[in-house]
Parts: sequence; C-alpha cells; structure tokens
Amino acid sequence: MSDTLTWFAQLPRSQSIFTPPFGPFFVLLLLQKTLVSDWLTGNKVGGNNNGITWCLCALRVGRTPRSRTKVTMNVGTAHSEVNPNTRVMNSRGMWLSYILGIGLLHIILLSIPFASVPVVWTLTNLIHNLCMYLLLHMVKGTPFETPDQGKARLLTHWEQMDYGVQFTASRKFLTITPIVMYILTSFYTKYDRIHFVVNTVSLLTVLIPKLPQLHGVRIFGINKY
Amino acid sequence: MTEGSANKPFTGDACHRSSNGKNATKNGFVKSHCLLEQPQKYRRTKEKNPNVTHNSNLYKRPFVESFEETPLLVAVLTYMGYGILTIFGYLRDFLRHWNIEKCHVARDREQQKDFVPLYQDFENFYTRNLYMRIRDNWNRPVCGVPGAKMDLAERVSYDYNWTFKHTGKVVKDVINMGSYNYLGFAENVGACADAAVDVTKKYGSGVGSTRCEIGNLDIHEELEQLIARFLGVESSMAFGMGFATNSMNIPALTGKGCLILSDELNHASLVLGARLSGSTIRVFKHNNMQSLEKLLRDAIVHGQPRTHRPWKKILIVVEGIYSMEGSIVRLPEVIALKKRYKAYLYLDEAHSIGALGPHGGGVVDYFGLDPNDVDIMMGTFTKSFGAAGGYIGGKKELIDYLRSHSHSALYATSMSPPVAQQIITSMKIIMGEDGSTLGADRLRQLSQNTTYFRKKLWDMGFIIYGNDDSPVVPLMLYMPAKIGAFGREMLKRNIGTVVVGFPATPIIESRARFCVSAAHTREMLDIVSLCGTHTSQNTHFIHS
Repeated sequence: MSDTLTWFAQLPRSQSIFTPPFGPFFVLLLLQKTLVSDWLTGNKVGGNNNGITWCLCALRVGRTPRSRTKVTMNVGTAHSEVNPNTRVMNSRGMWLSYILGIGLLHIILLSIPFASVPVVWTLTNLIHNLCMYLLLHMVKGTPFETPDQGKARLLTHWEQMDYGVQFTASRKFLTITPIVMYILTSFYTKYDRIHFVVNTVSLLTVLIPKLPQLHGVRIFGINKY
Repeated sequence: MTEGSANKPFTGDACHRSSNGKNATKNGFVKSHCLLEQPQKYRRTKEKNPNVTHNSNLYKRPFVESFEETPLLVAVLTYMGYGILTIFGYLRDFLRHWNIEKCHVARDREQQKDFVPLYQDFENFYTRNLYMRIRDNWNRPVCGVPGAKMDLAERVSYDYNWTFKHTGKVVKDVINMGSYNYLGFAENVGACADAAVDVTKKYGSGVGSTRCEIGNLDIHEELEQLIARFLGVESSMAFGMGFATNSMNIPALTGKGCLILSDELNHASLVLGARLSGSTIRVFKHNNMQSLEKLLRDAIVHGQPRTHRPWKKILIVVEGIYSMEGSIVRLPEVIALKKRYKAYLYLDEAHSIGALGPHGGGVVDYFGLDPNDVDIMMGTFTKSFGAAGGYIGGKKELIDYLRSHSHSALYATSMSPPVAQQIITSMKIIMGEDGSTLGADRLRQLSQNTTYFRKKLWDMGFIIYGNDDSPVVPLMLYMPAKIGAFGREMLKRNIGTVVVGFPATPIIESRARFCVSAAHTREMLDIVSLCGTHTSQNTHFIHS
C-alpha cells in the first residue's frame, strides 16, 4: 500500500488521466487494481511491486507521443502522405456515405415484419455502435503497407485519424453522430427502462474510447498488440 | 465538413486546425505583406475555379489546369464499392482461415505457430483481397521495344491471378499508352541505335568502376558538356540511375539545420533523398503558391524548431511535370518567391525535359525563363531520351562539389557507354545539331498530339486532370472495379494503359494514365479515344 502511495506521489502532475473529472476515478481504479493484482498473484498486500508494474503496463500511463514526423521513404505511392488512413474520414462524401449507411441499416431493420419500432431503433443504435466500436476502436493498423515503418500498427483507426490531432472536424462529427442516434432512439423507444439501459451502455462503449485522455490507452492490456 | 473545394482552407493548410477560438476581427488584422495575391476570405461563392492563376503578369502564356472535383454521387458509390470489397475480403479471409478456400498467401510454419507472428496479416489485407484480383493489369511482360506499339506475352491465370502461365502466344502491335516515350526515342532502328551499337563495339557495355575511380570515360565528359549546353547552364553531371540521382544528391546538398520545402506530390526519390539528408522537411499543398509562401514566411520568421536559430539554407523541391496528376509546376511564381525569400530551388524535370518547351528544354524553356534562376536543375534520361540515368545541372562550383561529394559519384557505377551514346545522339537530334529537322519535327508532333488527344478526350466527356500542355493525361475512373475493367477492356482492344488506384492515389481518385508520345500517329490516338468511348459505354463511365 505504501508502495502504491509513493509511486502515486512520484508521478508527474501532467499525466492526463489524473486531470479532473476523471482523476479520482482512475486513482480509485488504480488502487483497486493494485489490490486485486496482489490478490491474484497470491502475494501479501503491498508485498512486492509486481502489482504496481502490472497496473502501469495495463493502463499505459503516459501519453502516446502525438508529434509525427513526415520524413519517410514512400514506396509505391504518388504522394508524400505517409498514412492514407489518416485522411480517409476527411475525404469528400465520406460523412454523407456514413449517414446514408446508417439510414440503409435502419430501413433494412424496419423491413423485418415482426419488429416493433422501438425495438428497431434500439437495434439500429446497437448495431451502429457495435460496428463503430469494432471498426474505429478495435481494428488496429492499416490494411496496406505504409512507409512509416509501422508507427501506426498498434493504433486503432480513431487514433490514426489526422495523426492524433484531437478535436478535428471528423472527430467531432463521429462523436456527435452516436449521441444524436441515442437521442432519437430514446425518443422512439418512449424512454422505456430496459431500452434506456441497453442504449446507454452501448453509447458509453462508443463514447469513452473517443476521449482524448484515452488516446493510446489500452485498459487491462486488451487489444494492445 | 469533408473536403470540398469550397471548404478547403485558403491559406493552404493541409488540414483545418482548430484555433484557440479567437476570431480575427478587422481591428486586429495585421496587414499581409505577402508577395503573391492572397485570395480574400469569404469569397467562396464567387470563386468558381480555384486553379485560376492569380498572378498572370508573371506568365507569358495562359496556364490552364483543371482538377475537377469528384462528384458527390461518385464519391458515395466509390465508398460503397470499397465497403463491399472489404466485406468480401473479410469473408474470404474467414474462408481461408478455416481452410474452406485454398490459401495462397505466405503463412507461418506449423512449428512456429506459437512464436511472434512473422507476417502481419492485416497489412496484407488490401494486397491479397483487392490488388490480387486485378493484378493482371500490371507487370505485363513486353517482348520487344516498347515504342508506339509493342508486343505483349500473353498470360492466363487459372487461380484468379495468384499465378500466371504464359500461353506462348504473343499479342502483337498493342498501342502503347503507358511508356514514357515522349519523343519516340524508344526504337531499335535509326541513328541512335546505330551509334549505340558502334559505341558498344568500341567500349563494351560495362564500365566496371565508379566515376571517382577508374570509371570516368571520355564519353561521360562529352555527355556532360552536351547536357550543359542543352540546358543552358554552366556545368552538369550525369549519373547512371535517375532515382539514385535524387536520393544520393540531395543528402550531399542539405543536411541538419537546413529546411526542405517539398511539394505534396513529389516523387518517392525526392522524398527518400530529403529523408536521407537529415534536414527538416515541410510539405506544401500541391502547386499551391500561397501555401509555399506561408511556409517560407513561417520558416524565416521562426527559424529552426526549438532553438529559433536561422536556417542554414532553405531548399524548395518541385517537379516539372507531376506524373500522376499531369500538372505543371507554376515555375514563374516559384522563382519569384525564391528570389524574394532567398531560398534555393531544386527542379526535378524527370518528365518535362524534352517534352515541354519549343526547343525541348523542359519547363524552364516552356515558361521562357532564365535557367540561371534555377539553382539545381535535375532531370532524367529515361523519359524523353530513351536511355537511362539522370543528370544535375547548375553552377560550376556546385557541380564540382557534387563530383567529389555525391554518394553516386563515389559509390555507384558510372553510366554504361551505349546508354551514354544514346543520350548524346538523341540530345543532338533534339537540338538539331545532327543536321536534320527530326528533333524539331518530333517536338512539334508531341505538342500537337498532346493538344489533339486532350481535346478529343475532353470533348468525349471524360474527366481529365492536369495542364492542357502536359503529355501525361490522367483519366479519372474513381471506382475500384472500373480500374480492373478499364485495364482489361483496353487490352482486349489492343491498347496498353497504366491504371492506378488507392493507396497510390487518394481513395476517391483512381485513374488511368495515358502518356502521349511523338511516335503516336493521329490514327492511333483516334483508335485509343474510340476504344475509350466503347469501354465507357460498357462500364458506365463518369462524365463531366
């Protein structure tokens, strides 16, 4: 326990996860994890430092470097854009295609004969959030070889967008769309309790990874490599 | 919003950076002392064509370029196309994983399944699921001279392009619209070929050493003097490989503490050379002089990144003709900027030397400028001269420095004698020094062919990128399936073209690239445009 506290005291205050309002939450989480990990490894509480280092690794405390270098060897491309994935969401017509895709999904679900309107809206919301989570926050790297020697291999598409610059137009758009979907779904499900719980959990799974504080963070080491 | 021409920031920023929220009011505005006319803000509704030259007093002839934007419907359909291909790609991967379908891709051995994986299977996704399906459009074996017409070895594939078998037949007289054969010097008969044969009999074909050691032949000296005369510079140096000219000489010119301002669409050799040099690299938007000026001003005002010391030198790296867009650099404006801000200019005329200008002198000749304004003129012999290799021309001190400090000169074998002779002969023909009018005829034929071909395709309604005078003609295809369809349909009609798609080009700008040559006759160009129309009717092309 004392090890945890000394470690905590030594952390530089610029660490992003400790800024409010998430600071206390994460501190508690850390303490919890230390205790749990100690229990898991069967050691005395606060005995040795395995738990703390495990927490550190698991939470990847520290910022992923956001500066990018554009000096690279470009093989097979006709432009000096190192990672085309960063620009895909900004290209012309992409936002429109995305909205049309959601519309298409909704219409397909509406055409199921036995599904009522609230169920359809909840399903749309769930499937949309699931696909968004999988494509933006689960799949890592690029489907083609990039000249940047693998800098983006461990980054999800959300982290690759605009080379990690936060609050760009596409990022704001992709954050607002699930929220708008959620509001519409809440309306059409007439604020039913079960639908509310399901939709809120789904919205949280899609909003939390988009926080700038969670850039490059892999909780419990899930999806790290 | 997504990028549309009306929404792209006028200041030439690569992406819209959110400011600190303060709005620039009229009272707080600092008067801009920029050299080039800055387009005013909020002029979007009036600004129909952002490619209109703002500083026409610098240009002696009209500079007309067009890069028509992707129509919105086409963009949406293109994304849908890529989406469907991705879904099918995942399906196929699933089938391959469970051994329902035969897997042709390299995989880890059974004994090494528990090791760290050797192959990144996601990075290979695009290659195995999209590229492999249309792979028969590239790497076609050419048997014979790739002149205006060429012979191709016929290949078939029984496993969807994973392996090819040669049937043994040769497809004869395929019209070659893909070779960079601008002046038609890719031929095995004629004065160039005879001279090259004689030189091979005299010198042999190999040199066996580098320029600095024992590989400096008198034919190299003659070639370099000829190049210097052709370009109108003091001195020049020739290298055996065009790519190596860029990548080995830029490190000799700049180093740490220098700044390289390079165009967005610069070739891989320039990017590699800039990277190897260790200088700071900043990229300005393609052919956008406002962006370049902004970068220059920022660089000079703020200096090096952390120390704010002045830069040791600033080198602007541009190309004469950009081969993927067909655009010509705005050289008068670049030179005006370079003079004002005291930067150096490195001009890569790989595609434009011999192809532009009334005397074939490249983009400097085309704009009627003084070659002494360009500090380093670089070019290659691969395109217009039908040979191989590159050159650098400039002041005598610069070239003497490069002779002893360039990596190419010290470590790379010098140019082969028959290649050097081919360049000498072809350059003399272009300059008219061989006594005939063949050079002038070819230059005229090339420019006539370019104008005719571009006009013909434009009248047919295709979307063509680039400058009206550039012999590189990209024809937009946009959708991924059309890339394969176009290449194959054209081959069925005996025309060979180069098609390019994502990720070499932006995702919604796949294209087919035609390279007009002086060796093409008008009938050939008519056939090509007619076949293009037939193909478009079959595959429902995008018309403007």
